[in-house]
Amino acid sequence: MINTEGMVAETAAKIYADLCGREVPHEAEAGQYPQALWDALAENGLPLAWVSEDNGGFGADYDEVFGAIWVSAEAASPVPFAETLIANWLLDRAGVAIPDGAATFALVEGNAASVPFAGTADHVAVYDASENEIALYKTADASAVDGQALSPDSDTRLDFSTATPVASAATNLSRRAVEALILTVRAVQMASAIEAALNLSIAYVSDREQFGRPLSKFQAIQHQLAVAASESAAATMAATQAASALARNADDPEKAWHEAVVAKVQIGHSVEAVTVPFHQVHGAMGYTQEYDLHHYTRRLWAWRDALGNEHHWSKLLGAELAVTSPDQIWKGVTTGAWIAS
Amino acid sequence: MQRFNFPVVQPDPALEDLRAELQAFLKEEREAGNFRPEPECWMASSDAEFSKKMGKRGWIGLTWSSKYGGHDKTALERYIVTEETLRAGAPVGAHWIADRQHAPMLLEHGTEEQKLDILPRIAAGECYFAIGLSEPGAGSDLANVKTKAEKVEGGWKINGQKIWSSGAHISHYMVAILRTSPAEGRNRHVGLSQIMIDLSLPGVTIKPITDLSGDAHFNEVYFEDVIVPDDCLLGEEGGGWKQVTGELAMERSGPERFLSSYITLETALHQLRGKLGSDSQARLGKLIANLRTLRGMSWGIANLLHQGVSPETEAALVKDLGNRLENDLTLQVRALLNDLPEEEWSDEMRRILNIGILRSPPNTLRGGTTEVMRGITARQLGLR
Repeated sequence: MINTEGMVAETAAKIYADLCGREVPHEAEAGQYPQALWDALAENGLPLAWVSEDNGGFGADYDEVFGAIWVSAEAASPVPFAETLIANWLLDRAGVAIPDGAATFALVEGNAASVPFAGTADHVAVYDASENEIALYKTADASAVDGQALSPDSDTRLDFSTATPVASAATNLSRRAVEALILTVRAVQMASAIEAALNLSIAYVSDREQFGRPLSKFQAIQHQLAVAASESAAATMAATQAASALARNADDPEKAWHEAVVAKVQIGHSVEAVTVPFHQVHGAMGYTQEYDLHHYTRRLWAWRDALGNEHHWSKLLGAELAVTSPDQIWKGVTTGAWIAS
Repeated sequence: MQRFNFPVVQPDPALEDLRAELQAFLKEEREAGNFRPEPECWMASSDAEFSKKMGKRGWIGLTWSSKYGGHDKTALERYIVTEETLRAGAPVGAHWIADRQHAPMLLEHGTEEQKLDILPRIAAGECYFAIGLSEPGAGSDLANVKTKAEKVEGGWKINGQKIWSSGAHISHYMVAILRTSPAEGRNRHVGLSQIMIDLSLPGVTIKPITDLSGDAHFNEVYFEDVIVPDDCLLGEEGGGWKQVTGELAMERSGPERFLSSYITLETALHQLRGKLGSDSQARLGKLIANLRTLRGMSWGIANLLHQGVSPETEAALVKDLGNRLENDLTLQVRALLNDLPEEEWSDEMRRILNIGILRSPPNTLRGGTTEVMRGITARQLGLR
């Protein structure tokens, strides 16, 4: 379970409760960006939670901030709160000054990269593993590549070839360290969104009557949601395990890579196992823009593809395990120690 | 609002030392040819000699007091022992149920005399118990129990039949749920009691049932005017339903709910290291990620139980997910093995894989079927 009782999480929870009611994600999609929500998060310094005190942040623990990320995903956050946290984490670690406003991030290979919230964030922190560099761009300086987006805030291809960074610095952050952070943040968001959509589905089938009784009284419906609940619980476990690994390895996030990948693989596969029953029990209503379900399911579809889908990561993890001794694999399964010490 | 509670609990160095001892012992026993590993070993592989060796090492009865032959340790130590023996596919079936279930039951409800007499023998790996829940007319519909215990002078007279009792043919006792008074109208949960029956008593007949692979590890058990003394009533007269459902909830999340087939993967990994192609690597990655997640859930619940919290929904979810994973594991290993020409498979690999396939049906049946688990979950979610 991701702990949402810390000060950071509780502050975020209050802001989201006040300024991100169920209508807000709908309005955001219709073009009314919830600036008040972002401003409240910014005024409370939340996007700087992982930035060191020297760089103007408050150096919060991983745990506390994951609680806030959970809360934001539960509310289908239409502002790039988690993305700004990641961008600022990257910039801070490279010693780049943190820009004002919302930011997002990208891992580049070549000139182009997939960027979440590209239409909203003012800046984008770009990590280039081959150059060991983190560069900060104005999002508007990169050119967007057209395409159908999976969700309003999902990844857009941006081309940086003609853009000039506003700042850049060398970094000793390894690609695995960066992946550990990003995958873990996504895992927490996904587990939270799955649970929120489960609760939405439970409420819907309890309310909606067919054949003279609530849908919830049909065993076929009960069992579909029971299976979805088991996947939701597993997703929460995997996310919590990854978050815990990162918290324990704050000085060397690369050590949390395996648990982050386990979470990506577990939750990535869970997405199909939950979004199918969630939509099935909602019938046609769940397919409409008017209803709330898609705020979660579209984000889940987008997140499972972001930074490589579940098949990509299964293979990456499996390629390493395929040459690992059975003893070490068992040690990983039972204790989370995936590499011989 | 549903929120799932699975604490992340870090490994404890003392427990890891215990794990290393287990691993060394199991390796030695296996290499000496003292056992042949099998999937579903906790149900289907019994060896009294092996159980006695486990008892001598102090690995049975970990959780209870040394006054009763136990070792004053916790359920977490027991968890490590059980997961290592499952991983090894060791023949732990004889003592498993008594250690897991009946010893704690006797500690709670037994007389001092029973505790002093029976618990040390369980801990020594010499005394085994069978479960007496199902009947020909009562499986998933457990409350439909017909076997009767009638009050007689100084004890109870038992008539009827139990079925699917694993290990009854090698067990010394059975704890059965019996009807001690009639149901009250539609309320069948009243009037049921738990009674311990010495299986050597006159009137007890045990008939093994052969499973589809030709093994006979479960049984029909008949009772004809079997008389047991008063103190064999465990717990409250008429309180059997509550006691049984409480026990079932406690045992749904243990390692035997998701590691029963791990020996099949372990054996394959020894053969396949460095030989897997790209598709198989992806399969392996997914499978191990699932196992790691399930282990986290099961271990989290073990720690909650250790603190006295019994998370019923989470436990039912672990059983549902874990049982599916056990069967999926065997299927995935079949796929992985395609990366090795069949003539290179070891005989051991083939034997273990085939046993695993033949023993897969009960995974999603025993201890409450998948359908029963989903019903429990649905109730917890507020749908029923």
